[in-house]
Amino acid sequence: MSTEPTVVIRLDGDGSVYRPGETLSGQYRIKSLAPLEVKAIEVSVLWHSEGKGDEDMAVHEFWRHDADESHPIDPGQPERFRTTLPNSPLSYEGQMIKLRWCVRVRVFPSRGKEVVGERVFQLGNVPPLRGH
Amino acid sequence: MNLDARDERTAESWALARSFRYYGKKRGNRRTGSPLLGSVGEALFWAVLLLLGCGGAIVLLLNFVLPEWRVNHEFVPTTCKVLDKRIAERQGEDGPLFRPEIKIEYEVGSETYRGWHYDIHHHEIGGGYSGGRENAQAVLNQFARYDRAKETRYPCWYDPGNPYVAVLVRGYRWWIWLAFTVPASFVVIGAGGLLYTLWHWGKSAEHRAAMTQRAQERDFFGASGNDPCPYPFVPQGADMTNSPGTRLKFRLPMAKSPGWALLGTLALCVILNAVSVFAVIAIRRHLADRPDWFLTLCIVPCVLIGLGAIGIFLRQLLVTAGIGPTLVEISGHPLQPGREYRLFLSQSGRLTINSMSVWLVCAETATYRQGTNTRTETQEVHRQELFCRQQFQIERGLRFETEIEFRVPEGAMHSFKADHNEINWAVAVEGDVVGWPRYKRSFPVIVRPANGEIDP
Amino acid sequence: MDVSLTSDNPFCTRWVRPGAIPFLFPPGENAEKLADRLRQAGWWGEITGPHGSGKSALLAALTAAIERAGQRTVLVVLHDAERRLPVDLRNDPRLRPPVLLMVDGYEQLSRWQRLALKRFCRRQGTGLLVTAHDSVGLPPLYRTVATLDVAAQIVAQLMGDRRPPFTPEEVSQRLSRRNGNLREMLFDLYDLFEQRRPSAGQNMT
Repeated sequence: MSTEPTVVIRLDGDGSVYRPGETLSGQYRIKSLAPLEVKAIEVSVLWHSEGKGDEDMAVHEFWRHDADESHPIDPGQPERFRTTLPNSPLSYEGQMIKLRWCVRVRVFPSRGKEVVGERVFQLGNVPPLRGH
Repeated sequence: MNLDARDERTAESWALARSFRYYGKKRGNRRTGSPLLGSVGEALFWAVLLLLGCGGAIVLLLNFVLPEWRVNHEFVPTTCKVLDKRIAERQGEDGPLFRPEIKIEYEVGSETYRGWHYDIHHHEIGGGYSGGRENAQAVLNQFARYDRAKETRYPCWYDPGNPYVAVLVRGYRWWIWLAFTVPASFVVIGAGGLLYTLWHWGKSAEHRAAMTQRAQERDFFGASGNDPCPYPFVPQGADMTNSPGTRLKFRLPMAKSPGWALLGTLALCVILNAVSVFAVIAIRRHLADRPDWFLTLCIVPCVLIGLGAIGIFLRQLLVTAGIGPTLVEISGHPLQPGREYRLFLSQSGRLTINSMSVWLVCAETATYRQGTNTRTETQEVHRQELFCRQQFQIERGLRFETEIEFRVPEGAMHSFKADHNEINWAVAVEGDVVGWPRYKRSFPVIVRPANGEIDP
Repeated sequence: MDVSLTSDNPFCTRWVRPGAIPFLFPPGENAEKLADRLRQAGWWGEITGPHGSGKSALLAALTAAIERAGQRTVLVVLHDAERRLPVDLRNDPRLRPPVLLMVDGYEQLSRWQRLALKRFCRRQGTGLLVTAHDSVGLPPLYRTVATLDVAAQIVAQLMGDRRPPFTPEEVSQRLSRRNGNLREMLFDLYDLFEQRRPSAGQNMT
């Protein structure tokens, strides 16, 4: 059994395809990390490009939770997030350009390297292009 | 469905236990070296600039501004006699430098002081010198030596803390304030860079992107007071709807105006043919039986290139003039997937057309910087024929006009523009004309997402 | 050929830019040995090779080994038509020795800039490691060459445990069509991968 910390992200409902303007909500939790070992957690809803060009990225929604002595972060406790998705850009599987939306959770432990988890979802319903 | 292969229905996500920075610039998703050292170095760099600027500003303040301020506010006024005057000279880096020196006598209480003075900068070591001897002479001409009969005295001011220091002129030099722009720019750049570095210190790529976007949105609010853009990363296309049409609602602008292309070619032609001057010289020498073969050999390839440029220009001129303007108007804009629109096409010029077609085209453009190369590639991903007609004539003075109905495909991707990637739509008019080269004229359009509202 | 629609294209820029693919050293060669050779040359050297043969990737691979050898590094990448160094040699605190200045695309600099840089590095005791297509007069450290074997290894690394949608012969054809330019070959393979994805769902047309 792996002792490496992992991030588990669940999206409410179908969790795969969303319309612009729809509410995206879900929860995340971190496995294999003790409460006092988490310094901060960042949750982002973002899109990034892939393909033949340099990557573009834009963050639609961003939250950061910093732990302090009076309020440590319990990584095993699921935390919820919620946002209203924008009208654009829509998810796209093109020829040279792909646009991907995801929820990304980045955990900053007190010691060691960052742990990142990602959950991809589709915004809009643009069908993938057939190769030319 | 476009899901990452690692996603399961149970929504178990994958984790990266290693350091994962999405924002990896030149070296993929792994930074080389220590990010902390990099940030420290960056901060040091800006801090040095800031210190240099502050240091420069302090030097200017102490050596120029403060002395002049004391003269204007603290020195005590009195009068003096001019005993003698001269132009002092010393050698500078670029030649001799001069300054006016005036020997004056003045009283402070019961003490009489004499010395060579002019302005406050004379009292600094090596101060008050400048390049023009005439300027120094002009200053001396303003003061006459003391004449017992006329008892001419001039106003002067002395330092109450050190009466040996006196001046004959007051005021501020205007150029000192100009000089402040140099250290000020260092301060602004250094402080700005340092603040930027500190602000982004230790932040993840997502955090930095979120901060930048929030700052941009605040600027947007502050600047115009409008709501943020409802379609992020979809071009606004304001210049596509600022020209009303005569038949339909909007006249679309062409992507590349043939007029500007022609002007560019003309400029190039003129530059390349500038060597014709030397060609004339070479020909004259040949005609005068004094041939310059070296000049001739050098000039021949240049002349050939110049003639080629003229040929290209003339060809372009003929195409532009011969194939008259193409006008495209549209019933609505921006476009939306699944909706129908009307297009009006007008083509003028005395032409015999083999074929003319109108297309709705979508192209992806991706820019990539790797190593020392910048590479931009454009690829058409959708081409839809809206109109085609073959074998017809356009008479002189008349225009070919037609209206076309078309529908934007249901699943079409909207227009998109980011720093390195773009998705662009356009109406393209292509013509195959007898006796002329094939031409293509492109009219960009914006396609919004399917749910997007359009202007009535 | 087995290609999943939902797979990322392994030849997209995210996976093929310098540093993303580890540099493949020939047998008997590794980053530590090169770093040691560089150290023996007084931290002066040049990496040469044709377009797209992996010079930038090698520079990225060497950085960690050089820093382990105790030398701090500063990397400068020059892009198209960049004829001047984008750093202030005199005032940049990162360039205080001991440091190795790495210039990717050294030949983009004007002759005067190159002279000034070399003079600066000699006076400061700063190391200088550059990449160029041909020798620029520094001690040669390594010459990168794009071979079919290297290309095949890179393709295998990018594909992972997936079966590629093209044959080794097609990879070889693409490499020779691009005159040994690995970078352009990888872009061609990107297009080939996209073309050979099985289509699913509605097409725009």
